[in-house]
Amino acid sequence: MVENYLIIGGDGFVGRWVVEMLIKRGETSITVFDIVQRYFDKEIKHYQGDLSNYDDISDCIEKENITAIIHTASPPHDGKSEGLFWEVNVEGTKNVIEACVKFGVKKLVYTSSSSVVYDGYSELINTDETAPYPEKHMNVYNETKAAGEKLVLEANGRNGLLTCALRPCGIFGPNDRQAIPGFIKVMEQGQTKFQIGNNENFVDWTYVENCAYAHILAVDKLSVENQTAGEAYFITNGTPVPFWDLCRLIWAQFNHYPPYILKFPSSFGFVIASLAELASYITGKEPGFTRFRVRFATTNRYFNINKARNRLGYEPLVDLEEGVKRACQPVLNSLNNN
Amino acid sequence: MATSLFQSIFHPSEIVALIQYKFLKSSPIHVIPPEQKAKIRCYEFLNKTSRSFAAVIQELDDEIRDAVCIFYLVLRGLDTIEDDMSIPIEKKEPLLRDFHKTIYKKGWTFDENGPDEKDRQLLVEFDVVIEEFLGLRKKFQNVIADIADKMGNGMADYAKDAAYNKYGVMTNKDFDLYCHYVAGLVGIGLSSLFSTSGLEKPELAKETELSNLMGLFLQKTNIIRDYLEDLLVNRRFWPKEIWTKYVDDLADFRKPGYEKKAVDCLSTMILNALQHAPECLTYMNKIQNKSIFSFCAIPQVMAIATLALLFKNYNVYHSVVKIRKGETVKLILKCTNIYEVANIFRYYSKVIIQKNDSKDPNFMKISVACGKIEQWCQTNLPDIDSYSSSQQDNNDIVIFLIGFILSAFAAYLLYYVNQEHLDYKGRETLDVFD
Repeated sequence: MVENYLIIGGDGFVGRWVVEMLIKRGETSITVFDIVQRYFDKEIKHYQGDLSNYDDISDCIEKENITAIIHTASPPHDGKSEGLFWEVNVEGTKNVIEACVKFGVKKLVYTSSSSVVYDGYSELINTDETAPYPEKHMNVYNETKAAGEKLVLEANGRNGLLTCALRPCGIFGPNDRQAIPGFIKVMEQGQTKFQIGNNENFVDWTYVENCAYAHILAVDKLSVENQTAGEAYFITNGTPVPFWDLCRLIWAQFNHYPPYILKFPSSFGFVIASLAELASYITGKEPGFTRFRVRFATTNRYFNINKARNRLGYEPLVDLEEGVKRACQPVLNSLNNN
Repeated sequence: MATSLFQSIFHPSEIVALIQYKFLKSSPIHVIPPEQKAKIRCYEFLNKTSRSFAAVIQELDDEIRDAVCIFYLVLRGLDTIEDDMSIPIEKKEPLLRDFHKTIYKKGWTFDENGPDEKDRQLLVEFDVVIEEFLGLRKKFQNVIADIADKMGNGMADYAKDAAYNKYGVMTNKDFDLYCHYVAGLVGIGLSSLFSTSGLEKPELAKETELSNLMGLFLQKTNIIRDYLEDLLVNRRFWPKEIWTKYVDDLADFRKPGYEKKAVDCLSTMILNALQHAPECLTYMNKIQNKSIFSFCAIPQVMAIATLALLFKNYNVYHSVVKIRKGETVKLILKCTNIYEVANIFRYYSKVIIQKNDSKDPNFMKISVACGKIEQWCQTNLPDIDSYSSSQQDNNDIVIFLIGFILSAFAAYLLYYVNQEHLDYKGRETLDVFD
């Protein structure tokens, strides 16, 4: 069946991969909605607008006679403005839903986040979709992603609209602006020999192409009969690995191997982090080392993705090792050119 | 016993296990009535021919024990023919291919093995094995004969395969196939015997892929560990596809200057075996009977412990690396249910994680394989973290310290007593000089 696709946030990191996958498989009706335009392809229509403005998005949906939407837009989760999160993730998503219902859009796939079930300190051990939202979210980003997800799932069935939410964990890839740069920064600061914790905690990651692929599967498979609609799905690479192993794999791409490893127990890490946070509170500077980072490095955070496997037929296309290689390639190229 | 205790001196919980195993062994060996001479002889052969299997077979429940014992001896007989390079191929091939028929021939024996063949006596008296085989239930006989047929033909194919005889195992696919013939088939046969006995569900016999992988996991571990032993008798089971990436000849790993390559190749081999671990856990999770569970699980936990010990261990190329007797016994005593076994797998997978490093060519693949073991445990045994071991895991450091303080105290007492004695004697000696 031919769909008229709309990718909201199609100039963003995940959104762009979705667009390219759709172009690659020969889709003829692709529209992108984003707040800025970064890509200029002949074959796609581009709408520049603000998601929190209902008319911007409803105009686009009406004019292009959209039938299927992949909604990937969200401010980056290290952003500062709490108001922006509410505006885009919640109000913006509401606008999308209302426009979908009004103009009879059939499918809506929402890019949620695995962090919607994370309270900031509990371990996530092989967590599946039966896990509840936490009573108190870790931060506003998580809270607004969860609120957006709830709205999308509740809208399932309104005026024939079918919806689902994908919850990727730790998205990384070429030119990502959040994951890979963080690892490289540690390397540049010469801190790769420090290990907090015993490296026996497993963590999930998602290569961006796998994440985009899951969106394509979801939009293709979404139906009432196969129990795909109205559901949330964790999406990862399906291969949890010890936290520091992935860091070291990334550093190894730059031919960097820690000469030796100094291991600190996580309790020690918490003490140092508390002191650092206190110091930054007094001086007013951004703390480089926080208790959250200690927890991030020392607790389990991985998911059971069997629901996505069974209902969406999801199986990662690119494995973790290959994903890391591809993700580091642009950085390596730029280093070689300088 | 004394050496085993000494090796475990820094692992006092193993000393506890060794002593427990030696003196508190619960079930006595089953007594066979003296008039059943053939059966008695079969169990004698079992004890002689197998180091590791004899004990676990004899712990099996009555319904299945004899069948597994005879199955083992039949395959050992087959192996003794295949192994003997002094038998010409023209003679060997029909012997191997027809062995599944031979076991129905009352009174058949074979004395043409070379004098150095260690189990030649088994075939010299093979009539007793046949007698017991024919005394088994028809359904047991069928399973044993079927596996002997497949294994005998597989062995004959290898014996005739010129490339294999010259170069050893070639590709990874060949490696899996070879291990299937010599070990996977054993796993498949055992599952059928378990189902036939009624101790396990009929469905277990249909789990041929999982049963095969149980065998592969053990066989591959043995092949890695026995690098040196096999090389010295010019047998090459490490697949060429793997080692050719590092050296031109498998024996080169022993040469100085090849240490890094040797250890890298070793991790490729270990990864190859380690990938079967989750499926082995899946198989063991299906076992219901306690005696069958221990029978299956004991070799498996030995294998994962061995893999952890071999990983990054260059000694594999110059000596035979084996786990300590104390560690073995501790593991045997723990193999009582799937939670214990899963925790043992997790423990050794974490040992592997700690040894892993980012310079290893298989660094991430090994990480992923260890992650799969962890995720298997959490998916299939969701309450594993709240499971507390029935056998309290002793804190090695505490016991060691208490032991150390006690022995220091004892030594001091001895010294003190002797000192008194010496002083007295010393004075006497002095007196003489006066």
